[in-house]
Amino acid sequence: MEVLREKVEEEEEAEREEAAERAEWARTEKMMRPVEVRKEETTLTQEMLRDLEKKLSEIQIPISAELPAFTKDTIDISKLPVSYKTNTPKEEHLLQVADNFSRQYSHLCPDRVHLFLHPLNECEVPKFVSTTLRPTLMPYPELYNWDSCAQFVSDFLTMVPLPDPLKPTVQKEEKVLPKKYTIRPPRDLCSRFEQEQEVKKQQEIRAQEKKQLREEEERLMEAEKAKPDALHGLRVHSWVLVLSGKREVPENFFIDAFTGHSYSTQDERFLGIESLWNHKNYWINMQDCWNCCKDLIFDLGDPVRWEYMLLGTDKSQLSLTEEDDSGINDEDDVENLGKEDEDKSFDMPHSWVEQIEISPEAFETRCPNGKKVIQYKRAKLEKWAPYLNSNGLVSRLTTYEDLECTNILEIKEWYQNREDMLELKHINKTTDLKTDYFKPGHPQALRVHSYKSMQPEMDRVIEFYEMARVDGLIKREETARTMTEYYQGRPDFLSYRHANFRPRVKKLALSSAESNPRPIVKITEQFFRNPAKPAEEDVAERVFLLAEERIQLRYHCRDDHITASKREFLRRTEVDSKGNKIIMTPDMCISFEVEPMEHTKKLLYQYEAMMHLKREEKLSRHQVWESELEVLEILKLREEEEAAHTLTISIYDTKRNEKSKEYREAMERVMHEEHLRQVETQLDYLAPFLAQLPPGEKLTRWQAVRLKDECLSDFKQRLINKANLIQSRFEKETQELQKKQQWYQENQVTLTPEDEDLYLSYCSQAMFRIRILEQRLNRHKELAPLKYLALEEKLYKDPRLGELQKIFA
Amino acid sequence: MNRLCDSMEPKVMDDDMLKLAVGEQGPQEEAGQLAKQEGILFKDVLSLQLDFRNILRIDNLWQFENLRKLQLDNNIIEKIEGLENLTHLVWLDLSFNNIETIEGLDTLVNLEDLSLFNNRISKIDSLDALVKLQVLSLGNNQIDNMMNIVYLRRFKCLRTLSLSGNPISEAEDYKMFICAYLPDLVYLDFRRIDDHTKELAEAKHQYSIDELKHRENLMQVRLQDERAQQEELEKHKTAFVEHLNGSFLFDSMYAEDSEGNKLSYLPGVSELLEAYKDKFVIICVNIFEYGLKQQEKRKIELDTFSECVHEAIQENQEQGKCKIAQFEEKHLSSLSAIQEESELPNIEKMILECSADVSELFNKLMMLEMQLVEQLEETINMFERNIVDMVGLFIENVQSLMAQCRDLENHHHEKLLEISISTLEKIVKGDLDEDLPDDLRALFVDKDTIVNAVGASHDIHLLKIDNREDELVTRINSWCTRLVDKIHKDEIMRNRKRVKEINQYIDHMQSELDNLEYSDILD
Repeated sequence: MEVLREKVEEEEEAEREEAAERAEWARTEKMMRPVEVRKEETTLTQEMLRDLEKKLSEIQIPISAELPAFTKDTIDISKLPVSYKTNTPKEEHLLQVADNFSRQYSHLCPDRVHLFLHPLNECEVPKFVSTTLRPTLMPYPELYNWDSCAQFVSDFLTMVPLPDPLKPTVQKEEKVLPKKYTIRPPRDLCSRFEQEQEVKKQQEIRAQEKKQLREEEERLMEAEKAKPDALHGLRVHSWVLVLSGKREVPENFFIDAFTGHSYSTQDERFLGIESLWNHKNYWINMQDCWNCCKDLIFDLGDPVRWEYMLLGTDKSQLSLTEEDDSGINDEDDVENLGKEDEDKSFDMPHSWVEQIEISPEAFETRCPNGKKVIQYKRAKLEKWAPYLNSNGLVSRLTTYEDLECTNILEIKEWYQNREDMLELKHINKTTDLKTDYFKPGHPQALRVHSYKSMQPEMDRVIEFYEMARVDGLIKREETARTMTEYYQGRPDFLSYRHANFRPRVKKLALSSAESNPRPIVKITEQFFRNPAKPAEEDVAERVFLLAEERIQLRYHCRDDHITASKREFLRRTEVDSKGNKIIMTPDMCISFEVEPMEHTKKLLYQYEAMMHLKREEKLSRHQVWESELEVLEILKLREEEEAAHTLTISIYDTKRNEKSKEYREAMERVMHEEHLRQVETQLDYLAPFLAQLPPGEKLTRWQAVRLKDECLSDFKQRLINKANLIQSRFEKETQELQKKQQWYQENQVTLTPEDEDLYLSYCSQAMFRIRILEQRLNRHKELAPLKYLALEEKLYKDPRLGELQKIFA
Repeated sequence: MNRLCDSMEPKVMDDDMLKLAVGEQGPQEEAGQLAKQEGILFKDVLSLQLDFRNILRIDNLWQFENLRKLQLDNNIIEKIEGLENLTHLVWLDLSFNNIETIEGLDTLVNLEDLSLFNNRISKIDSLDALVKLQVLSLGNNQIDNMMNIVYLRRFKCLRTLSLSGNPISEAEDYKMFICAYLPDLVYLDFRRIDDHTKELAEAKHQYSIDELKHRENLMQVRLQDERAQQEELEKHKTAFVEHLNGSFLFDSMYAEDSEGNKLSYLPGVSELLEAYKDKFVIICVNIFEYGLKQQEKRKIELDTFSECVHEAIQENQEQGKCKIAQFEEKHLSSLSAIQEESELPNIEKMILECSADVSELFNKLMMLEMQLVEQLEETINMFERNIVDMVGLFIENVQSLMAQCRDLENHHHEKLLEISISTLEKIVKGDLDEDLPDDLRALFVDKDTIVNAVGASHDIHLLKIDNREDELVTRINSWCTRLVDKIHKDEIMRNRKRVKEINQYIDHMQSELDNLEYSDILD
C-alpha cells in the first residue's frame, strides 16, 4: 500500500476563494518542500533511494519528531509574524486533538502509515495542515480558473513542461457528390490479375520492411525503457483534488501541482489516497485502494468511507443530493463562521499564515529567478521571463539524439518583444541549417530566413510576407550557382525568375571598387496568365540564354488546347555576301504556332518582338543584379539586428518604457518642486540675519537679542515702506484726476462727444483705483500692528533664539 | 487659309498617295528596311497622317481596318464619309476643313478624341454612337445655339471641350452655362475649370439643371422599366409560356369574335362569361407556372450536363498537357544529346528513337482523344434522351391542361347555346323582358342563324386555343432539336479541332527532327 497524502480542494467553498486557496496552498508547499518533495516517478532512482531512506527513518520515529528540520538559509525567520513562531491556545488544543486522533488511528489501523497531520513549519513550530491553508483572492484574472492557476503554480514552483505547442492541423475533407452527367471513367484494359499479383508482391515487401522496422523499434524501445521501478507503490506525493459541484465543475478530478496538468480520478498513475484535507477539516480514506483510485467515492460526508477529524465543520456532500440549497448554507457557513461553529464541536482555528502576495513582477517572472529548466527524455526545455535576456530569448528547446543528452539534434529558440520581429530560431545541428521565423512587421518584410551561413551566394531561402513588398516577391532561393525568385500579384504577371550564374572571372588589374557580379548564363522567367491578352500572345515562359544569345518563348495554352505556341530567337550579327549587315532573316526566329497567324510570319513583327525582348533581357539582368544587392543588404541588416537585438517595449509597460518612465519622473519632480515651493512660502524670516553670523555656532544671548531687535525693526521698516508706497500711489492718482478735471472744465465747450466719453470713462476708472488704494491703505494700517506682534511672538518661540526664552522663562 | 487651299488643285486619295504616306510614316532605320523589303499591308497600319494634301473627298480608306489614329487636318474636305470601316479608330482629326454637318461617324464606337476645329459646323449632332468620347474640339465653327450644349450631356466620358470662336462663345453666359450643364467637364477651351467656377455655375443654373435632371431621370426610369419588362417577357418566351399568366389568351379568343361579343349581351351570359373567364385564366396560369418550373428543370439539367462535359474535357486536356510536357522534357534532352554526339551512325539511331517517341506521343494523344470522344458520346446520348423525355412530358401535360381549356369552352358553348335557344323561344313567343341591342336581335331570326352564330364563336375560340397549343409544341420541339444538334455539332467541332491540333504539333515535331537530320547530314 502506498503512502499518499492528499489535500482536498473543497468545492463547497466560496467560489472566489478557490483559485486563491490553491495559490495559498502553493506557497505552503513551497515552504515545506523538503517534507513534500518525495514525488513523481520520473526523478532519478538515486535520489529516490535517498528519499526513501529518509522516509523510512521518519516512519520509525515518533510523529512529533518525524519531520526533518527546515532548511533555514532561504527564509529569514525574524521577519515572520508572530503567528508563525507560536501556537495560539486554540491551535495547541487542535494539535492535541490531532494527536489524540492520530493515536486512535494508529491503534485502529496499525498496519497503515502514520498520518500527515502537523508538520513543522519554517520556524520549527508544529502546525496543523489545514491551518496552513488560507483562501486568498489574487488580483490576477489568470489565477481565477483552475487550469491557468495550476499552470502558474507549477511554473512558480518547479520546472514544468508545457504540452506540445504544435497542434495537429485539422484536415478538411470535402466530399464530392457524383454528378449526373459525369463521364464514365475510361475502360480499364489492364490485367486485374497482374495488378493483384503486383500488389501482393508489394505488400509482402512492405510487410517485410515493416516487420524489420518494428523489430528495430522494439529493440530501441527495449533499450530505452526505464528499469522497472523498485519503489513502485511506495512513493508519496501530494496533489490537488477538485470536487465537482461548484463553478460548473462537472466531475471530480486531480491536478498535479508540479506539472499543472489535470488527471481523471480514474488515472492509473494515482495509486491511492491516504488522507485529504482542506482549510476546514481533515479526512482519512477508509476505502480500499487495490484498484488505484478508480473505485474511490469522494463523498466526504460519508463517515464510513471518510473518517473525519473534526466534527461538523463540514457536512456537505451527503446532503448535496438531498438539499438543493446546501450551497447557500455553506456560504452562510463561511460568513458566520465563528457563530455557528461554537454550537458545534471544535472548529478549525484561523490560518496562521499570512496572506500570500505575488507582486506583478513576480507574476510576470513566473519561475524562480525568471528561469526554469525542464529535462525531458532526449530533450531539454529552458524558459525565461520576458525581458530577462537582453536578446529577448524566452524559451529554448534542445532535442538530443541520445538519452544522455550529449549529441544535440536541434535547437529551437523562441523570442519575444524583438524589434526585428524575430520569433523563432531553429537550428538543425545535423544539417547545420538555421531557420529564422519572423512575425509580420520586419522592415524587409521577412517571414522566414533559412541559411547555413551568413555569407552571400550560399544556400539560403528567404521568404517574405505576401503583399508586404511592392515588387510582390514572396520567396527567394539561393544556391551557389542559382537564384530563384517567386512572385505574386504583380501587374506584369511575373511569377518566377530563375538565374544561373557562372563562377566569377578573375579580373586583372581592375582597380575600381565596383562589384564584380557573377556572369549570368541563363535567366528563366515565368508568368501567370494575363486575362486581358489572348493566350497565343501571352507569354508563359521566357528563357534568356545569355551565353548563346538565344531567347526562347513559350506561350500560354489556350483553354481548349493542349499544345502551346513556342518561339525561339537567335541573335546573330553577321554580314551577308554583299557586306550588308543582316538585320533579320527567317531562320533567326523559329516558331511553332498552334493556330498560325498571318502577321506573326512577318519579319518586321519578329524583328520588333526581338528588339523588345532584347530590352527585356537587359531589364531582367538588371533585376537579377539588384536582387543580389538586396540579399547583401538583407544580410547586412540581419547582422546588425542580431548585434543590436533591441527589444520593443509597450507604451503601457510603465516599468520598462524609458520614455514614459522619464515622463513620470519628470512629473514627479515637478510635483516635488511644487511641494518645495509651498514649503518655502513659509519663509525663514531669520535667515538673512543669521547669515551675518558665523554658521554652526550657538547664539549667545546678546546676539539673540540683537538678532531679534534687528529682525523686528526691519519688519517695521518694511511695513512703513509699504504704507508709504500705497500712500504715494494714492496721492499720484488723486492729483492726476484733479488735473484732468481741471482740463475738462477749461475745454468743456470745445470738446467733441467722443472726447467727452473718453474723459468720463477715465474718471470712473480713476475713481475706482483711488477707492481701492484707499481701502488697501486702511487695511494695511489696521493689520500692520497685528503682523508686528505676530512676528514678535514667533521670534520668541523660535528654537534658534532659544537663549531669549531662557531669560524670559 | 482655306482660301489659299482653294487656289490649288484638289487631290484624290488614291492608292499611291496612301502607299507613300504609309511608307513615310512606317518604321524607320533597320525595321524600315525590313518593312520595305516585305511591304506593309494597309490593315496592319495603326496610325496614318494625311495633312496638308488638298484632299477634297475621303476615299479608299476601307482597307485600314485596324487604324487607331487618323489625321486628315488641313485639307478641303466637305463631307465626312468613307470612315465606316475604321471601327477601331480612337483618334480622328478633321480640323481645318470645310465640313458643314457632322455625319458618317455612326460606326466609330471606339472614338475617344474627335477634332472638328475650324470647320463650318452649325449644329452638334449625329454623335450618339461615340460613347467613349473624351475630347471634343469644335472651336472656330458656326454653332450659335446654346441648346447644342445640352446634347453633349449624354457623353459620360467627355472631359475636354473647346467651343471658342463660335457665335455662342460670344454670349455673356457662355462659360457658366457650359460648366453648369456639363459638370463632369475638366477642360473648357484648353483651360482647366476651377472648382469655384463650377460652384458658381451650378448655383446660377440650378433651377433649370434640376428640371433637366428630373426629366432625364424620368426617362431613365422609364427605359429601365421597359427593359425589365422586356427581360421578363424574354424569360417567359424561353419557357414557351409567354402571355399565359393572365387573361391574354382569353381576350384574344374574343378579340376577333364579333358574334361572341354580341351574344354576351344576352341575359345571364355575362355572369356565365365571367365564371368561364375565371376558370380559364386559372388553367392558363397553371400552364404558365408549370412551364416556368419545367424551364428551370431543363436549365438545371443543361447546366449539369455542360458542367460535366466541361470537367471531362478539362481533365482530358490536363492529361494531354501532362503527356506533352513529359514528352518535351525527354525530347529536349535527347536533342541536346544528339547535338553532342559526333558519330553519324549513333546520330541516326538517336534520331530514329526520337521519331519513335514522337509517334508514340501521337498515339497516346490520339488515344486520349478517342477515349474522350467515346465517353462524351455516351453522355451526350444520355442527355439527349433525358431532355427529349422532359420535353415530351412537358408537352403532354400542357396538352392535358389545354384539353381542360377546351372542355371549358365546350361547356360554355353548350350553356350559351341553351341560353340562346331559350331566348329565341322567348322572342318568338314575344315575352322577352329585356331590351337587346339591334345587331344582337338581328341574330335571333331563326334557330339556324343563332346556332350558326354561337357555333362560329365556338369555332374561333377552339381555333385560338389550338393555335396557342401548336405554337408552344412546335417551338419547344424545335428548341429541343436545335439544342441537341448544337451539342452534337460542338462536340464534332471540338474533336476536329483537337485532332488538327495534335497533328499540327506532331508535324512540327517531325519536321524539326527532319530538319535536324538534313542539317546533320549536310554537316
